Amino acid sequence: MAQYIRRRLLTAIPVFFGITLIVFLLTDLAPGDPTDLLGEGAAGAAEQAALASALGLDKPLPVRYLRWLAGLLRGDLGESVHYGESVTALIAQRLGPSLLLVGAGVAAAVLIAVPLGVLAAWRPGSLWDGLSNCFTAAGSAVPGFFLALAAIWLFAVQLQWLPASGMYSAGGEGSLPDLLRHLVLPAGVIGLTNVGSILKQTRSACLEVLGEDYIRTARAKGLREGAVVVRHGLRSALIPVLTTLLSHIPHIIGGSVVVERIFGWPGMGSLLFSAVSGRDYNVIMGVTAVIALAVLGTNLLLDLAYGLVDPRVRYERG
Amino acid sequence: MSEAKRVLSRLRRNRRAMVCLGILALEVLAVLLLPPLLGLEPTITDREAGFWAPPSPEHWLGTDDVGRDLFARLICGGRVSLLVGFAAAALSVGVGVPLGLAAGYHRGAWEFWIMRCADVFQSFPTLVLVLCLVALTGASVGNLILVIGLLGWPPIARLVYGNTLAVREKEYILAVRALGGGPWTILTRNVLPNAVAPVWAALAQRVGRAILSESSLSFLGAGIRPPQASWGNLMQYASSLTVLTARPWVWVPPGLLIVLTVVCLQVVGDGLRDALDPKFIPRK
Amino acid sequence: MRRRSILAAALALALVLTGCGGGGGEASPAPEGAEAAVTVNYGISNPWDSLMPYNSVSGSNYARIIYDKIYDRLAYVHADGTLSPRGAERWESAGEGYAVVFHLDPEAVFHDGTPVTAEHWAETFRLMTDPACPTLGKANFSVLTGTDENGNRTEGEAFGAEAVDEHTLRLTFKDPTTPEDFLLDRNREFYVLPTHLLEGVDPAELMDLDLWEAPVGSGPCKFVEQVAGSRLTLAAHTNYHLGTPGFDYLVITVVDKSNLLTALIAGDLDYYAFGGSVTAEDAPAAEAAGLEVLEGTVPNTFFELMLNCETISDARIRQAMELALDRELLCEQATQGRGVVTGSSISPASPYAQAAAAAPERDVEAARALLAEAGYDGRSYTLVCTSNRAGLAALIQQNLGEAGIHVEIETVDSAAMFAGMADGTYDIGIASHTPGALPLWFVESRFAENNNIFHVSDLEPYTQCIQAVKRETDPAARTALVAELETLLAQERPFLPLWFGTALHVQSPTVEGIDYASSSFSNENVWEWVKQ
Repeated sequence: MAQYIRRRLLTAIPVFFGITLIVFLLTDLAPGDPTDLLGEGAAGAAEQAALASALGLDKPLPVRYLRWLAGLLRGDLGESVHYGESVTALIAQRLGPSLLLVGAGVAAAVLIAVPLGVLAAWRPGSLWDGLSNCFTAAGSAVPGFFLALAAIWLFAVQLQWLPASGMYSAGGEGSLPDLLRHLVLPAGVIGLTNVGSILKQTRSACLEVLGEDYIRTARAKGLREGAVVVRHGLRSALIPVLTTLLSHIPHIIGGSVVVERIFGWPGMGSLLFSAVSGRDYNVIMGVTAVIALAVLGTNLLLDLAYGLVDPRVRYERG
Repeated sequence: MSEAKRVLSRLRRNRRAMVCLGILALEVLAVLLLPPLLGLEPTITDREAGFWAPPSPEHWLGTDDVGRDLFARLICGGRVSLLVGFAAAALSVGVGVPLGLAAGYHRGAWEFWIMRCADVFQSFPTLVLVLCLVALTGASVGNLILVIGLLGWPPIARLVYGNTLAVREKEYILAVRALGGGPWTILTRNVLPNAVAPVWAALAQRVGRAILSESSLSFLGAGIRPPQASWGNLMQYASSLTVLTARPWVWVPPGLLIVLTVVCLQVVGDGLRDALDPKFIPRK
Repeated sequence: MRRRSILAAALALALVLTGCGGGGGEASPAPEGAEAAVTVNYGISNPWDSLMPYNSVSGSNYARIIYDKIYDRLAYVHADGTLSPRGAERWESAGEGYAVVFHLDPEAVFHDGTPVTAEHWAETFRLMTDPACPTLGKANFSVLTGTDENGNRTEGEAFGAEAVDEHTLRLTFKDPTTPEDFLLDRNREFYVLPTHLLEGVDPAELMDLDLWEAPVGSGPCKFVEQVAGSRLTLAAHTNYHLGTPGFDYLVITVVDKSNLLTALIAGDLDYYAFGGSVTAEDAPAAEAAGLEVLEGTVPNTFFELMLNCETISDARIRQAMELALDRELLCEQATQGRGVVTGSSISPASPYAQAAAAAPERDVEAARALLAEAGYDGRSYTLVCTSNRAGLAALIQQNLGEAGIHVEIETVDSAAMFAGMADGTYDIGIASHTPGALPLWFVESRFAENNNIFHVSDLEPYTQCIQAVKRETDPAARTALVAELETLLAQERPFLPLWFGTALHVQSPTVEGIDYASSSFSNENVWEWVKQ
């Protein structure tokens, strides 16, 4: 087991370096630098040079990358030029909301996809199956922003059931019910745009299992239909759901950036977006590094969970 | 050739795929032919109609905030969106196929490095990278195609790699090799045709994904820049409350066109995969 | 079986963890006495940066409107350019017009209870002009004697800010300056800092103090807590010398521009900066939702095309651009009929409006003739604007195109636009400003050696005219000098004035006493706001 984890970690490390290096190189090649953005009238040439040396922009590229990596190990990602705060602090503030949103989105996707997939496999050709087909086709074809606009139009503007923006009612008490109300639309949009592939996997896996001989035997032995579906169908669905989730995490995170932006969710996506338009390099680097770490971490966790669920996965001991 | 014919005839029997293929063909024809035929002017202000004119016989979808015909912008925006979609997907295939072949055929260090790179690219949210890269390199149609296309190669390479591995161990390849066939001959004559066929199905899906990436970026204002239109940036108007609630004709048509296009591409992709299927996955 | 329960436990744990993660981001705006606290929810479309007013990288009004709450300024500027007391009770000109004496309000106290004295003000100015102190916006101090053109204090000269007695502050200027001129121009740049907390601090490290994470000021609101870039919680400063705000908490939340009005309609917000302004486009939606929309009385936006006189070096080409533009159409598009086109940066509400140059009629043929005369080679210019002005840019592109001038459009954020205009990346830029009542509010800062944003090759003629206007104190003679400057500008056209617009303000349904229009001067009368 330990060796298995070690091996997974070893493959994860180059992935991490690869991503951070690409972004680092590009932020370096990008036109303009943050010292250009000193407020109108506030920037003298001397001030710019001072700021450039304070930010370490006058050092050669490899030095800056190594410096940045060393900082990362110490939890120091530099200062945001725009907010004048440490990037670590900025990210720490935004990480929670993002995890919550992505977590709730994944939960929504799984809660819709798995039961529907099992039902569709149980009664192929039924209404459930049709519904599942619709979800599969639409799920991956409807862009998140279109769904988000439609949801805002319907639930926030027309029906006024749910808030259109933010994480709490602006200035409200910050209570849990308030948070949940704000969570419904963005998490729902993330969930719905990712239902498709999970649903497809669940359905085909269940279909395969329910056609197996031992299920026929179980049925013949008079096992209740519900028990058959839940015990055998659902159980067999776990593995494909996990696999699909695993390969889908990057997609879900990418989609959540757009959703955060539209719903004004105070997460990493919104942070990244404003950093990109403000050429706030340290923030861009920090956020991409944290997203890379999050992706790798989730992959590892799901890998392990996968190993727990599926006895066929061997940890290749010795 | 006869194989291609067989696949086509199988595809032809898939009615859903054919309908979708027809819709896609119509779309392509429309965006190519309608502008010259109807004399559409997507960047000219109609001073008589004014700003935000509602739909009328002259302006089928009304006019936008500076009095430009929205129907013309929708059609010309389609040109851009479809171009980005197809060109980026073609680029992904152009990069992914050779890499997949090389990894699968040569194994060893090639396999390790190429597939590791694929890991790197695939395990990171593409949209996040595209957002950063496009912002850093400057948003233009060319850059969008480059960035979206270059980041789309891993799934293609993976597919080709898997198939190459399978084909490579087939007896007839071993036979060719025993007869002294060089790697180039084997790759181009025997491996490529067999390993690449399933790419056609994946290609259709890549086009869909590229269109979604482009439209998401443009919607956020980080993609295609006005005054050039694309389906994504036409939907930007909907961030105004009044447009969202009182002028659905502005933002609903481009949204529906994106959905329709991507759904059709998916169905055609699935159809192609099914049509190609019996030969490559003989198990079921 | 066992494996499954482990998995279930792992999933449950993950959910709990993410739940906690969310909880970490929670803000509790009312740490004490939560029962009946009255909270004003204030929306703002862009984040502020540092909470240290002299360390704002953006130098934007979004930051200023935040400093306006926490720190105190000398005066309060009304939309029509009149002034009323704030940190200073009254002021008068002294030293033959070279100085202004401010009589500070003796009741003013910092949030920690320390009374504000003239020494606080003078010491703040001394610290900020210290050559070692990395003050941003230091050039604002360069009007004071004893500073160089960058606002650094110089040795051996008397510094132009001194505490005459406990409540009397005297500012001395390099040029004759009336109190009104000074306050209208610079009031929003000068705040008093709690210098009693800064004793013994090395000026070079002043900006890095922890104090600025939880600042102490003497403004109408006290800092409570912030989530940088998204939310700032302030409490009413009950001892504010102009009165206690009629609320307990002011919670400032960054809300995407497109959602401000929606949030106000939904009741999530009580008010949003600046002045609850709403586009003519969205006004019907606000009225349909039962909110009252009022039109401002004074022009509060000035639109101009910034030109790069280095890349567009021939004045005839710049004049041709002016003739090619359909100002009326552009103004109509941007303001929905709530603007007046102009050929000058002087506000129509200003007493100097009669001296302002008039906007010429559109004449495409004349523009073509001028271009031919100047030998325009058909080169393409880059027009830069922010994304919300893309429509306007497209119209300008068409207008100029009709005269044969090619333009390519780039959209960037506003900081990048000004930076790009300043370093010469772009040729033309669409900018809007909040007009002042002074005749030189716009031109003075733009024709200076250190901020030659139009890239004028020879500043001399402009600076001469500007200095002449500044030195003249007789209104009639001054008007004549302004007219002279206007003629020069109309001939050279280093920038292209477009129009003045009046804003629409959505009235807050819950908060009374808001002076909506004055927020365009980056100050808000929060001490007079009352919720319920």
